[in-house]
Amino acid sequence: MIFQTLLVVITDPIGLIFMFARFGSIGEWSVYRILLIYAIAVTSYGLAESFCRGFDYFPWKMIRSGDFDRLLLRPRSLMAQVAGSYFHLHRLARVASGLVTTIYCLQALKVSLRWLDICMLIMAFMGGFFTYTGVFVITSGIAFFSIKGLDWIYIFTNVSYQVTRCPMDYMPAALKYLFTFFMPMLLISYYPAASICGWTEDSYFKGFLALPGGTFFFLLASFVWRFGVRHYKSTGS
Amino acid sequence: MTEKMINRVFMLRACFSLFHIKTAESFQYRLAGIAGATTSIIYAVIEILVYGIFYKYAENSAGLLAAMDLKQVITYIWLAQFLFLMQPMNVDSEILGKITNGDVGIELCRPLDLYFHWFAKIAAGRLAPLIWRGSAVLLAGFFMPSSYRMALPVSPSGFLLMLVSLFSAFLLCTSYGMLACAIRLNINWGEGPVYMILLIAGVLSGSYLPLVLWPDVMQNFLVLQPFAGYLDIPVRFYLGLLTVENGLWAIGIQLFWIVVFIAAGRSLMNRRLKKVIVQGG
Repeated sequence: MIFQTLLVVITDPIGLIFMFARFGSIGEWSVYRILLIYAIAVTSYGLAESFCRGFDYFPWKMIRSGDFDRLLLRPRSLMAQVAGSYFHLHRLARVASGLVTTIYCLQALKVSLRWLDICMLIMAFMGGFFTYTGVFVITSGIAFFSIKGLDWIYIFTNVSYQVTRCPMDYMPAALKYLFTFFMPMLLISYYPAASICGWTEDSYFKGFLALPGGTFFFLLASFVWRFGVRHYKSTGS
Repeated sequence: MTEKMINRVFMLRACFSLFHIKTAESFQYRLAGIAGATTSIIYAVIEILVYGIFYKYAENSAGLLAAMDLKQVITYIWLAQFLFLMQPMNVDSEILGKITNGDVGIELCRPLDLYFHWFAKIAAGRLAPLIWRGSAVLLAGFFMPSSYRMALPVSPSGFLLMLVSLFSAFLLCTSYGMLACAIRLNINWGEGPVYMILLIAGVLSGSYLPLVLWPDVMQNFLVLQPFAGYLDIPVRFYLGLLTVENGLWAIGIQLFWIVVFIAAGRSLMNRRLKKVIVQGG
């Protein structure tokens, strides 16, 4: 268990660190900057993965086997039942590693935190948690129709934090819009980081958009989910 | 003696038809293949974008051009997305189900060697996505706009060698997957150890970052460790970093590790099966 945690902590950012070791910084973008954005994203992903693991498993474990029928009979919130159907403690490893990396990077960048910054950081994590939970929920909602073939969800989980490796100033506009307005990926990682460290001339309060953005995405997702539940046809035996 | 031989032949045939059945079964999910291919393609495009930025704007990009230029990295990324599909990411769900609900008992009643029986199954489970999803990814790689396009192989001999080492890579991945499976037979360890050994293999295979771009001090170790054979060695043949004259040892390394993994997996599995606890009821 402890080894596993350690391994996740080491291997997650290893590609990024080696790449900077090879190439050096890009203009103002040092390894710490990118790592900070990445760490914020990974922490919220870890949170979503720990507490809403059930949704992540849902299409594979519940729809195809028909176990979902049983949940429908119980007089409790469907979402809570599905979310809590699996819980993996070791997934918190990702959260822990993300938090440690965040603090380490903030220190390396010599940023002193004010209480407003800490609020912003916490809101960023919450927004991220909602966003990633939203991704899982959308996938589950769509799984009602497709049953299998959900690999594209990785575009919004694993691939989305690959996007954070790309320095903002150099990111193509299409990606920037996709991950700001459709999935608020940049809202939950880049903007809070930029506000806290003072990288941009933009308003400081842009960093607070994380939570509303995440919540909005989550609401959108739960709409898809509810649509799916209404059209659910049982499979399996 | 002859009876033993006949048994062997029958076993091989049985494994082969198992392979056949499972391949046919997984070919049904074409849509899943297409969905997966989209993910791979987008992933590759983002990777190329990031590398492009690093090569163009980073401080010491000049020193790098010696190791691998951007064009080669792009080809590497496409091929990695293709070869990545062979890597064992977890224990095959069907087999895992059998281990956890006690169907191992039934499997043991079959007059087949369990190791090769499962080996055939795992191999087949890998092959269908490789063909569906993999060919879609490669096609996309060849038809991208020129700054994202993958290059053709450097020489015909390099291509042939790549095919040979591709085949070994497939066996290597499967035999390592079987080793993980044998470890998983010890139920009360849970998912942890398997997850870890598969993760290490994934990192060391070069799919996160081409092995050539890792720190220089590690290069010798990186080539000799088993997981270079997953995708780094085949790709090096394709790119011409390894050639007929100076590269045949790399295939030797792959073969060596295949033998090691099969031996280890088989002996571990046989030992485990002697005192296996059948679950469920």
